[in-house]
Amino acid sequence: MNKRWVSYIIAFFIIISLNFAIPRLLPGDPVSAIYGEDVMVKLSEDVKEYINSAYNIDKPVISQYFLYLASLFKGNLGYSLYYKQSVGKLLMSYMPFTLLLMGLAVIISSFFAFILGIESGWRRGKKIDLFLLYSIIISSGFPSFFIAALFLIFFGITLGALPMQGARTAYSGFTGFGITSDFLKHLVLPLSSLIFILIPPGYFLTRNAMLSNIKEPYILLARAKGLSDSKIRYGHAGRNSLIPFVTQTGMRMGTIIVTGSLFIEMVFSYPGMGSLIYNSILNRDYPVLQGSLLIVTFLVLIINFFMDILYVKIDPRIKYAH
Amino acid sequence: MHINTAQKLRKDKNAQAGIIIIILLLIFAIAVPIFTKAPDVFSEKILARPDCENLLGTNDIGQDIFSRLIYGLRTSLLVSVSTGLISTAISVVIGVLAGFKGGLLDIIFMRFIDAFLVLPVILVLIFVSVFIKPGIINLIILISLFQWQGTARIIRGQTLALKEKTHIYAAATFGSKKSYLLVRHIIPDLGHIIVVSFIYNARAAVFMEAGMAFIGVSNPSTISLGKIMHDAFKFYYLPAWVWWLLPAGLLLSMLLVSLTFLGNLMEKIIDPRLQNA
Repeated sequence: MNKRWVSYIIAFFIIISLNFAIPRLLPGDPVSAIYGEDVMVKLSEDVKEYINSAYNIDKPVISQYFLYLASLFKGNLGYSLYYKQSVGKLLMSYMPFTLLLMGLAVIISSFFAFILGIESGWRRGKKIDLFLLYSIIISSGFPSFFIAALFLIFFGITLGALPMQGARTAYSGFTGFGITSDFLKHLVLPLSSLIFILIPPGYFLTRNAMLSNIKEPYILLARAKGLSDSKIRYGHAGRNSLIPFVTQTGMRMGTIIVTGSLFIEMVFSYPGMGSLIYNSILNRDYPVLQGSLLIVTFLVLIINFFMDILYVKIDPRIKYAH
Repeated sequence: MHINTAQKLRKDKNAQAGIIIIILLLIFAIAVPIFTKAPDVFSEKILARPDCENLLGTNDIGQDIFSRLIYGLRTSLLVSVSTGLISTAISVVIGVLAGFKGGLLDIIFMRFIDAFLVLPVILVLIFVSVFIKPGIINLIILISLFQWQGTARIIRGQTLALKEKTHIYAAATFGSKKSYLLVRHIIPDLGHIIVVSFIYNARAAVFMEAGMAFIGVSNPSTISLGKIMHDAFKFYYLPAWVWWLLPAGLLLSMLLVSLTFLGNLMEKIIDPRLQNA
């Protein structure tokens, strides 16, 4: 646990340093690298001076770095010339959508992954197990953005059943219940494709754990005690099969969840962080990109932190060991 | 480890399918361009349906989609193999050094590796590429730099376990130097893990390159499957997706699935508990 903390702090500093160093490593001055040459030409002298002073261009690099750190810790993430807004505020207005999408998808997909993994592992080698295994292996090979695009085309266009873009219908004039149902309808496609993408990693880990757990002596003991089949499956073998999901993916999970939801949001123009990043690339709005990278990394680290807590809850041995 | 890989392969239908698909894709990528048109030539035909002249129709600026697909596949294969080789080489060097030397070096390496593992790698890659606008070679180097950490961790773990094996002790007792131990005993014994690492890294590289290009972060002069999907996705409301977006996505997925099958075979070989699963 303690060791992980060190890694989290290093990870955060890697991102901060990348944010700081990349624009400055390029030929030319960093401010034009961040805001774009063409934009800088158009700006008035006052604004240019203001931006230059904000980046402390005239000072030595080391003190620039410390000033950058100091301004970050004050919550200053920069200013977006495209949105004419501070990056911090901009990110905060996009964040809730990402959190909602991600949170729901993680809960629902873990539920399905565990159930499918446990049932599949229990019926090892039977038809249903093989069917699940092969279809999930094959679907896990499909890149997330391709799955999302197929969902979009199939359900949105071919069937025409669900809205494809954004989080709500613009100028619809819905009131009360109408707003809620409109919002939920917009959530269905992004959410279901994200769930589809998040099921395979959890499924494989749970199934593999199940395969080794059902051979353990404690399962034989549970049978000898005369426990019911489903109690052994979920209460004994199943519970122990949850552990690898948290431990083995622990560090990777944050990344999988976050990058998954970013791609999904881009495809469905869902107004979360993913869309913001996509648009900032299109509009060459690099301060937003820098800020998003920082915030997304922070998000990943927080998810990992919760995974670490969950890990102790699921596997009490860890707590006794410390 | 004495493992008969060929025998395992003969039993594993998935892995056979994986190898056959990869070989077919390689042949496809190497041989077919001889017969196809140049992928960059514009024509008057815009968003045409498939016909004899253009097997998969044309895109919005009149280029032949079929030949672009093959060149895109070439890019994916090139990125996949070279990133696989480079990042696996780095992870073998770092992993074996950390595991074999131990001590402070190991601690420092592991803390940094863990730090890189929690990063949202594809986002970092997008960020760096937006600024430095890499060509294909720089892209390969860039992906490798952010890809080796996961497999280095596994290789380090295996090296730690191997170090304690009797035959290594025996060799050391006979007076073999540390460098000899590393080159003649430890690294050859890691053979299977190195192959798994290569497959794993190659697969991740395919996904990352395609993902970056799909988002729109790619060099304008390289044709890649992700870029084709990026272009095609702008016209998703047209029926053209069937011969534009779909083939590109399926080709990419085929490559990824076959690499997964191979990876699973190698994992099963290493972890006997998963056998006959």
